[in-house]
Amino acid sequence: MEICDLNVWYGGNHVLKNINLKIPKNVIFAIMGPSGCGKSTLLRAMNRLLELNPTAKVSGQVMVDGINIYSDKIDVTWVRRQFGMVFQIPNPFPHLSIYDNVAIGPKLNGLTKSKSELDQLVRWALEKAYLWDEVKDDLRRPAAALSGGQQQRLCIARAIALKPRIILMDEPTANLDPVAAMKIEELMLELKEDYTIVIVTHNPQQAARVSDYVAFLYLGELVEVGETSQVFTRPINKLTEKYVVGRIG
Amino acid sequence: MNTDKAFRLSLFFFTISSFIIVASIVVSLIATSYPIFMRDGLSFIIRGAWNPVREDYGILPALLGTLITSAIAIAIALPLSISLAVFSSELIPGKFKIIMNNISDLMASLPSVIYGLWGLFVLAPILHQFVMMPLHTHLGFIPLFSTRPVPTNLFTAGVLLAIMIVPFASSVIREAYSAIPYYLKEAAYSLGMNRWEVIRMMLGYIKSAIFAGTFLALGRAMGETVAVAMVVGNIMRFPKSLFDMGYTISSLIASQFPNAEVYEFMVPALYGGAFMLFIMGLAINLIGFSMMRRMVVHR
Ligand SMILES: Nc1ncnc2c1ncn2[C@@H]1O[C@H](COP(=O)(O)OP(=O)(O)O)[C@@H](O)[C@H]1O
Ligand SMILES: [Mg+2]
Repeated sequence: MEICDLNVWYGGNHVLKNINLKIPKNVIFAIMGPSGCGKSTLLRAMNRLLELNPTAKVSGQVMVDGINIYSDKIDVTWVRRQFGMVFQIPNPFPHLSIYDNVAIGPKLNGLTKSKSELDQLVRWALEKAYLWDEVKDDLRRPAAALSGGQQQRLCIARAIALKPRIILMDEPTANLDPVAAMKIEELMLELKEDYTIVIVTHNPQQAARVSDYVAFLYLGELVEVGETSQVFTRPINKLTEKYVVGRIG
Repeated sequence: MNTDKAFRLSLFFFTISSFIIVASIVVSLIATSYPIFMRDGLSFIIRGAWNPVREDYGILPALLGTLITSAIAIAIALPLSISLAVFSSELIPGKFKIIMNNISDLMASLPSVIYGLWGLFVLAPILHQFVMMPLHTHLGFIPLFSTRPVPTNLFTAGVLLAIMIVPFASSVIREAYSAIPYYLKEAAYSLGMNRWEVIRMMLGYIKSAIFAGTFLALGRAMGETVAVAMVVGNIMRFPKSLFDMGYTISSLIASQFPNAEVYEFMVPALYGGAFMLFIMGLAINLIGFSMMRRMVVHR
């Protein structure tokens, strides 16, 4: 994925300024920065979820496998299915069962042809999300009955059941207890084998733990991008250095 | 300190008095209707008769009338109020939304006698000419439409009731719809749903509120008196179709009460009808509120 000259405004408020980014395949790419710097906005610009907000205005390009997703010819619902998204607040559909939460994506885009194929895909996604063993006894339970960490893993299963190219995660552990958060981080490392993951975090330690590449976003500007080991040991920019040792944010 | 005490005392007083009022209603319903149940037993509610001269009363046709008009009202009001709620929450811009919601609130607060007049002089003739006659002429072989309609009948009453409860039901649904957390809509859109798919998903999420609103509206429809009495036809007989004239319990009470005291058993009979209505209303409201509670637990 490649982002070229991306700018975003909310009304007259210029919140992302000339962002240029290249994200390689099958890596975990972290976007870190203090809260309010534009991380969530950047993530939502990648799958055009930003368009839900009528005040948001976008310019620039986002290329996915050579396709500019902002091109007029592209269907926005198609774009969103190329990404699986996981949010800051675990948001399974509480009135649907565990099964239906995972099955909803494939049902919408016609990925599966038969009930048994769908069953298999649901099981596969739940296994991938480290949730199968905990829920296999009763997939008909409503999603609301699960714990916060389980709900977030259900959301991951829902996202990967779409068979997306890229997974977007917006502070996926911010509302979880440390044990549940750790489980999600382990899961991300596993998922990297098959997916490109873009994770937003306001916590530099998390970026250091899980990511291969990291970008530091500050006040809507991209300050520094690089391999995680390099950015954390030998940051080029003074601001980055201050941030990673915990003096900003 | 003193005002606090006074406040609590008055709170206590009002709570107690509302209990006393409800209790006295129940007691008077039972006590006054007691003679007719003693004399006729169950046959009072499983027969059709209204012959004061022979003191012969059976209210089943009116019970059926209440159920039929309520069913028509709900069948029309439910899709209409869902559409209105979604329309005002999702599709129209702010200024018009406020105007529309104000109109809706105004409609909910109009006295029912105004609906009755409008129903009698405007709605009934229009329905008769453009809906009921065509349905009867072309689909008369279906039992529901088999009676040759006059303008005032059960169907007209049901449609009028629907119009009266839509503002209320749609405002309950609108409230629930606007309380849907933004992150759930984001989840739906992020899966590549289009607007209609998202709306369907969100309606599923608030379905308990939709049921609750519907049941509370149903409670209102069953109890509505004046407007229905003006358009329902007021005849005690078993309805042969939706287009037959009839009674509802409320309209029966409203139209028969003026001369009830002339007869020995008519007052108990009307109270008996009111008691049955009370029980049905109670059941409906209990179901509605338990759904509302389920909805709260849900979140
Ligand atoms: N829906 C919105 N409407 C207007 N301004 C917004 C909206 N969402 C975020 N902003 C503003 O855009 C900036 C970036 O926000 P966001 O992308 O949420 O930052 P982060 O995720 O890094 O905390 C903030 O200044 C915020 O106030
Ligand atoms: Mg954010």
